[in-house]
Amino acid sequence: MLSRVADSLYWMSRNIERAENNARVLGVQLIQMLEASSEETLARHDWETVLEICGSVEDFNRMYPKMSTNHLIDYLAFAENNPNSILSCIKYARENARTTRDSIPTDLFEVWNNLYLETTEMKISEGSLRDIQQFLNRVKIAALTSHGIVDSMMTRGVPYRFFNVAKWLERGEKTARILNVLNDRSTADREKADGTNYYYWRSALQLVNGYEEYLKQYPPRMNEKDILTFLISDFSFPRSIQYCMDHIRESVISLEGGRVSHYSWRIYAALDLMIDEFDERKISSLKDEGISAFLDDFQNKCNDIGRIFSETYYLVEPSKTT
Amino acid sequence: MFKPYQSDRNFDEMLEKDGSTRAHYQDFHKVMDQFSESELREKHETAQLSFLRQGITFTVYNDNVGTERTMPFDFIPIIMPPETWTMIEKGMKQRVEALNMFLDDIYHNAEIVKDGVVPREFVEQNPYYLKKQVTGIDVPLKNHIFLAGIDLIRDQEGTYRVLEDNLRNPSGMSYVYQNRYVMRQVYPEFFNRHSIHSLEHQLSHMHEAVLDHCPINCLHEPRAVLLTPGMYNSAYYDHVFLAQQMGIELVEGRDLHVRDNIVYVKTIRGMQRVDIIYRRIDDDFLDPQVFNKDSALGVPGLMSAYKKGNVSFLNGVGNGVADDKAMYAFVPEMIRYYLKEDPIIPNVDTYFMRNIEQRKWALENLDQLVVKNVGASGGYDMLIGPHATNEEIDRFRKKIEEEPHQYIAQPTIQLSRAPAFQDGRFYPCHVDLRVFVMRGKKTNVLPGGLSRVALKEGSLVVNSSQGGGGKDTWVLKGGEDNHAEQSS
Repeated sequence: MLSRVADSLYWMSRNIERAENNARVLGVQLIQMLEASSEETLARHDWETVLEICGSVEDFNRMYPKMSTNHLIDYLAFAENNPNSILSCIKYARENARTTRDSIPTDLFEVWNNLYLETTEMKISEGSLRDIQQFLNRVKIAALTSHGIVDSMMTRGVPYRFFNVAKWLERGEKTARILNVLNDRSTADREKADGTNYYYWRSALQLVNGYEEYLKQYPPRMNEKDILTFLISDFSFPRSIQYCMDHIRESVISLEGGRVSHYSWRIYAALDLMIDEFDERKISSLKDEGISAFLDDFQNKCNDIGRIFSETYYLVEPSKTT
Repeated sequence: MFKPYQSDRNFDEMLEKDGSTRAHYQDFHKVMDQFSESELREKHETAQLSFLRQGITFTVYNDNVGTERTMPFDFIPIIMPPETWTMIEKGMKQRVEALNMFLDDIYHNAEIVKDGVVPREFVEQNPYYLKKQVTGIDVPLKNHIFLAGIDLIRDQEGTYRVLEDNLRNPSGMSYVYQNRYVMRQVYPEFFNRHSIHSLEHQLSHMHEAVLDHCPINCLHEPRAVLLTPGMYNSAYYDHVFLAQQMGIELVEGRDLHVRDNIVYVKTIRGMQRVDIIYRRIDDDFLDPQVFNKDSALGVPGLMSAYKKGNVSFLNGVGNGVADDKAMYAFVPEMIRYYLKEDPIIPNVDTYFMRNIEQRKWALENLDQLVVKNVGASGGYDMLIGPHATNEEIDRFRKKIEEEPHQYIAQPTIQLSRAPAFQDGRFYPCHVDLRVFVMRGKKTNVLPGGLSRVALKEGSLVVNSSQGGGGKDTWVLKGGEDNHAEQSS
């Protein structure tokens, strides 16, 4: 497969996943905002949390005069100059699908072409949460439909593996980011009344859509260590970091026909190093103040894997060491 | 609903002069009459939407801002009786054969010029004649024209005439397929009454024809790619479609790399050799070392790989000399010269503005003529005398006097018409037909072709960039009974 096409497939997939994740995060947040309306301080903090998960507080402050619900929604969902806004993700996913049309199922292109066409003509009345939730839902359904198309229609060949590697990288990174941001918040609020922590860790589960699955395995206490273990090292929850990394590794093995060659050993090494870190014991032995550093380190490693993967398959020009 | 109209000035594809339906349209007409107006409107909308959903769009640029548009589709097809098609098919093969011999000739010994059939100045002064770059190159199969798109019109009498040859990068083949596809999806009712030539297998013939152009130094299974300028090109969908259907890779200039006169493509497994390039970028952008230095679309070194016989290009380089509007006038002579045959399908009469007498006559009759810039395409820089204002005519008079060699004039032909259904009503529109000729070891003509229709009422311009639309084109099967076998 052409490197350029592989690159486009990779970014198509990442943007599909990003659109879905950001839509979920924003959707969860909008509902929480209603519930938490009495605890105003909490709600304002929450918005910053969401900004950090799906974009950047700095960018936001540069683009808007003040923090308001409408500005936040605009920034996260619609802003053209925010490359991570949901509309931008839809646009990139569709553009990349367009340049890879000859390698992906026609249905997959059509899902994103339709969503793109619909959203460019979409009218959302200002402040209408109903309209926004409808839009977010539409995005989630499109992403889920894509997974269905890919799963049921694509040959397990190179394009399929690239699509999946990108999806899991994006997803793993997002989970790491959510944990990182919420952990910072929770640490900052640790002195405050009980229940605040509880609130953050429950959020973490909701933001990755893992609340229900968590309750099936753990008692309904929002125990920090349990939640970290679940979201980081659970082998079967499809949004845990462990699960994502395992599947990236599996895909690389398939791409390489089970062999390790001179050009692919680095990606194996990076994945092995990463997987080594998620030992359940390691997580439970972490001290409170160690968690933050652990999550930081972890997010960096995720980024490294993305970079090494791209270099291995010539998706980007290799970074030059100076 | 459909009301027949009198058609005495123009030939009508569907109706006789008195408004009665032509024999080969009668079955179609019967089925059409069974639809109510609201049904037709609904189907019309479904059809337009289907193009948008599938992303079958072209990009139009206005002040550098590109907008994606679909080509409007009209459901009333152009139907062709079998004997008409047989004649067109023969005429097309003949014409493209002669044009190819011409190209091979002028890039070798230029016998046709020595024999005085085509004046030397017309070749030598032609900006698309790449004497220095191309002369002496032996292309595989001696074939310079892998794909030709020949535009045909019908005059008042219904005689088919060639309007234009496109030998560089004719586009639109994907539309032929998509028009048929949408027609089958949205108007299936029409198909069980007709037996028409299918478009299946044509693309596998085309693929075969691509692979026939194995460069001389290629001793392995050749690898073919389609080189596109990218998704912002107006014909991008055409490129995607053809690459996909032929199962060859769609590449951009930045994917290719030339090393030691061998062309490679960058893959996730490293560099791999490329042998045949069906390129959809113009000569001028192909290789910045030889042509336009600023071209970011092309690949440095392509031309030297081509000269060494390490790679072949489809279509050949330098074809523009044969399809420009001035050379057009000599094609009937080329057919006589190379093939010793009379042209099966005639040209439209053409006057050269560089010729003093012809120019003098034309300048006096501009209001009755069509004037074209020999270097322009897509309906740009063109005067349609009978529809023009006095100011426009004066502007063209100046242009012709300033640069006479740039212009030709042709009599205004009453282009044939066919009914169209748009915005809930029927009205007659001018049509033309682009026929696609594919050449490898064998020559194959795509049955039918792309019927283009000028949907602006009264307009003569069928180009999609200027409001033209498309129609499905049916070639009816076989001799004695041209109605469907299945018809009840």
